[in-house]
Amino acid sequence: MAKIIKIGSQNLTPKIANPFKTSRNSSTNPFKYSNFEGNTLQFADVFEGFEPKKTNKLKMIASSVAGSMTKLRSSIAEPIVNFVNRVRGGISNAWDFAKNVNLADYKGLKTISNVMDMAKNSMSKGLNGTAEFLNQDVSVIGKGLSGTVAFLNKDVAVIGKEMSNDISGFGKELSSKWNALISKINHKKISADTPVAELEQMWRNEIALEAGGAA
Amino acid sequence: MNKNVLEIIDALTAHQDNESIRVLEELGTNSPDNEVREYTSRALVRKNVHDSLKVVIINQGKGINDLSPAVAMSTINEILALKDKGEVIKILDDTINMHSDETVKENARSVKSLLALS
Repeated sequence: MAKIIKIGSQNLTPKIANPFKTSRNSSTNPFKYSNFEGNTLQFADVFEGFEPKKTNKLKMIASSVAGSMTKLRSSIAEPIVNFVNRVRGGISNAWDFAKNVNLADYKGLKTISNVMDMAKNSMSKGLNGTAEFLNQDVSVIGKGLSGTVAFLNKDVAVIGKEMSNDISGFGKELSSKWNALISKINHKKISADTPVAELEQMWRNEIALEAGGAA
Repeated sequence: MNKNVLEIIDALTAHQDNESIRVLEELGTNSPDNEVREYTSRALVRKNVHDSLKVVIINQGKGINDLSPAVAMSTINEILALKDKGEVIKILDDTINMHSDETVKENARSVKSLLALS
């Protein structure tokens, strides 16, 4: 009894007091901290050999894919080959058939050819008729335009005459105004004392100005 | 008529030399404007010298012989208005007696008649 008390007061650690508390230690030996009167169990870590190994998931996926491909090839490769061979044979046969068959022997094809010829002829006739109709229309439009242009020419001639008259009147009025202005400028120079030669030159200038205004 | 031309004609009328008469005859009596011809003819009459009166009496189409009645009548009125009519009567007589054109003679005779009546 005294020994039991001694053990309880001196050697009991919290972990021993609570043996179910998980430890951060990675040891798998559940009896590692079991203390039987200060003695640890003699067998070391008996579960060390059973520690789970880390597996590479990528390797696992690759191996599974490779296996699947092998199975796929064995199950699908054969039908594809057969299918390709069948198609190739079919095309070859169709080509041989098309080369050796005379299309003229088939009534249906002849009918199609006739229909195409008829369509071509009717389209040609239709185009010719449309062209004639367009020619007539263009001729009528041309005549109408010619008449309109002649009418416009007459109008333009009348407007031109009116403008010419207006411009002529404007020119005469401008000339008279200009002459009056020149007269005012030269007003002081003309007198009985002015030499005859100078007076003659002035008169000739006046005549030239009047002739320019009239023209 | 251009006011400037009027003043030029007046200035030439004031001159006494024959050169002014030449200018008036050449530019005035040959003008296409009736007013200029009329004013020039009256100016030549007002000069009252032989050479100026001769221009408006003996020349066909000028002065009293102008195709415009207004010009001719205006020239005749100016002649009738002259204070000294001695020179103009002398020229009229010479024209009536010696001029080759009958129309000019007839016009001179008419003017002389008017002078006699005035």
